[in-house]
Amino acid sequence: MSTHSTTSSNKAVGDHFRWARYSTKERVARSLGYLVVGVLLYWSLSTVDVFWPWVWDAPAQIGDMMFRMFPVSFVQLNPILFALVESINIAVLGTIVAVFMALPIAYLGAQTVTPSKLTLWLARFIIVATRSVDTLIWALVFVAIIGPGPVAGILAIAFRSIGFLSKLLAEAIEEIDWGPVEAMQAAGASRAHVITYAIVPQVVPSFWAITILRWDINIRESTVLGLVGAGGIGLIFQGAIDMFRWNTVSLVLIVIVLVVFAGELVTGVVRRKLM
Amino acid sequence: MSDSTVHYRWKRPHFIETPYIRYGLLALAAIYLIFALSTLRVNPQRIVEGIPRAINMFRGAVPPDFESRGGLIVRGFIESIQMTLIATAAGVALSVPIAFMAARNIAILPIYAVGRMIVVVARSLHPVVLGVLFVSAVGFGAFAGILTLIMYTLGFVGKLLAEAIEEIKYGQVEGVRATGAGFFATLAYAVFPQVLPRLIGLSIYQLDINLRASAIVGLVGAGGIGATLNTAFGRYDYATASAILLVMIGIILVAEGISGRLRGLTK
Amino acid sequence: MLQITDLVKSYNNGEPVLKGLNLATDERRLTAIIGSSGAGKSTLLRCINRLVTADSGRIELDGINILELHGKRLQDTRRQIGMIFQAYNLVDRLTVMENVLSGRLGYVGTLRGVLRRFPQSDIDRAYALLKRVGLSQYVNTRCDSLSGGERQRVGVARALMQNPRILLADEPTASLDPKTSERIMELISRITDELDLPVLINLHNVPQARDYADRIVGLRYGVIVFDGGPQDLTDDWLEKIYAGHEDDLKKQMKVAGEDGANE
Ligand SMILES: Nc1ncnc2c1ncn2[C@@H]1O[C@H](COP(=O)(O)OP(=O)(O)O)[C@@H](O)[C@H]1O
Ligand SMILES: [Mg+2]
Repeated sequence: MSTHSTTSSNKAVGDHFRWARYSTKERVARSLGYLVVGVLLYWSLSTVDVFWPWVWDAPAQIGDMMFRMFPVSFVQLNPILFALVESINIAVLGTIVAVFMALPIAYLGAQTVTPSKLTLWLARFIIVATRSVDTLIWALVFVAIIGPGPVAGILAIAFRSIGFLSKLLAEAIEEIDWGPVEAMQAAGASRAHVITYAIVPQVVPSFWAITILRWDINIRESTVLGLVGAGGIGLIFQGAIDMFRWNTVSLVLIVIVLVVFAGELVTGVVRRKLM
Repeated sequence: MSDSTVHYRWKRPHFIETPYIRYGLLALAAIYLIFALSTLRVNPQRIVEGIPRAINMFRGAVPPDFESRGGLIVRGFIESIQMTLIATAAGVALSVPIAFMAARNIAILPIYAVGRMIVVVARSLHPVVLGVLFVSAVGFGAFAGILTLIMYTLGFVGKLLAEAIEEIKYGQVEGVRATGAGFFATLAYAVFPQVLPRLIGLSIYQLDINLRASAIVGLVGAGGIGATLNTAFGRYDYATASAILLVMIGIILVAEGISGRLRGLTK
Repeated sequence: MLQITDLVKSYNNGEPVLKGLNLATDERRLTAIIGSSGAGKSTLLRCINRLVTADSGRIELDGINILELHGKRLQDTRRQIGMIFQAYNLVDRLTVMENVLSGRLGYVGTLRGVLRRFPQSDIDRAYALLKRVGLSQYVNTRCDSLSGGERQRVGVARALMQNPRILLADEPTASLDPKTSERIMELISRITDELDLPVLINLHNVPQARDYADRIVGLRYGVIVFDGGPQDLTDDWLEKIYAGHEDDLKKQMKVAGEDGANE
């Protein structure tokens, strides 16, 4: 894309230069792309199950809702803060649980170090299954199994994170410099020694970066678990919505934005420290 | 060759050298963990009861039942895909002006503040939170879902595009400006072409992300397959639920593959 | 002591890279293996400590056929064979001391190794070796802050930590500038002499092979075409060893020439 000038077809036609931005092939591919996008959009817009009069009414409705959110009411500040702490705890504990489960799965899921084809496919299956199911759906499952509460939330966060962490960590393991591994093997080291001396030190920086990235995501995810009964601030949010307490809804939203923003600041600082 | 009378002591150096800080941090972490664990109201009895429940659920879920509610499942997925396409297109289109507003090197301070705020708020709120809000504002259904995904797109594409704009090369901007071009002409000819490849890459990636999100906003009533899944769960129809989950995993994997391919092509 | 018989090795069922090699070393001396790139020098060394698995033949160390070993017995034999690598193969993010001590991993138990609790004798030996290679001031320095020459000194110390019966070195100086390369060769040759240790060393640098080796083996497409003392290695022989790869040879001679000019 950045090579327009080299691929454009500037041919001399008689005394005039014809200038075109893209070569014919590129133009055809491009037009085809636009056509596909256009057709898909047309199909979606014309068949989607939307009641259009409501759409034209939407700005007024949304404006009305925002209007009702102010002034912000601080009556429920205490329970909101308690629920917020619970959300953060769920994110932290869920991430920790996930890390412990992800370590062996990442090892088995890394093509270069996994002991056998069977373990590789087992690990890959776990990775795909856990990371393709959203946290909220995991939460539904765990609430159904062990009942509502933060433990279900922790398990939901953990399960969704296992696949994410394992996948990225397995990739980090596959990318290590193989030389030290051979050096350890050549010295007669056992598998455990090869792991702790040649593999672990090389993936430690990626490990922290990946874990912190996921923790940051999990803070956000933990704010909605309460909507399905899995603990945290989502429960209060749902309650305020159900009772039309818009002045409290706005406080919950503000608190969520602040904590997510703070989480991003923390991860930014830690990441810079680690690099 | 080793000197047998002199013994050297060696201990692995610590990551944090000062013991004061090292143990202080460890203690803080331990205290936090104990506190966090103590707030969990673990009910062992409930967990024990959960084991047969889990077995029942699993029994219900295997084999998955694609047939009895096949029509609903297909309709749900089609709606999710429609929501994704519409919201990605609209969201990306809206992201462009907002990204320019949120780029410090383009926008004047008050506009920058507004742009930045929109991006931060849109990013901080989980799509499900946005979904609940839009469902209350405009009612149940796909429209609320589309609005949700548009906001979600704004937060993601808006932020990354703003960062791309902040990293542009200034030579080209000055070149166009030197021809006497005005502010918007400069944006269109000098800035936008520089970030266009990034925008296309981000849009394709966002398509993938929105598809995932479209599957869950339905859990709170904002249309798509999530609504079907929620109903199945509510009816304890785990065979249908597992069928939906399997199709969902399949579609997500395929979309991830296509999105990766397309992004590779546009590079 | 080391006896290689009819060694055959091919990769991915292709043309053999080693074609029935026979080689024996039992004297305590430095044997240089030369040959153009792709001749199979690295493959030979890597067969000896089983970093690659040979197709057929025998490699006996003190009468034990290495090719038949598995698991713990393979580990026990590997620890008797020290290896120095062209790319050093140190763990960058570990300290010099940890890298050197990792040479003892074949001797210590799993838990001790993992926890870095090495016996006092190992630590004493590591200090002595670091002193000998001139790195005692860097004990707790991380390896990624060392220069190439310093890294290879760590590599030498690590190999010697194993207390090996034989030392293998695969182009240990190929990544270094000529001066440093000379110093490392000097170190390897002196220290193995002090320890009475036989060395098999792949060299890309013919003059260095002539300077330091007691015996030179010329490898060409997986076959030994020359085996003799440095004084026997005439230019005729060199042409035979490097036939078809004259550029390779010229480059190597030239590097050495510039090196000489430096001194
Ligand atoms: N791991 C490997 N897989 C496939 N072929 C290899 C591998 N290692 C080496 N070879 C091939 O074996 C031949 C000999 O290589 P090598 O032993 O590295 O030679 P040298 O060290 O003398 O340069 C070369 O043709 C090389 O391409
Ligand atoms: Mg080689």
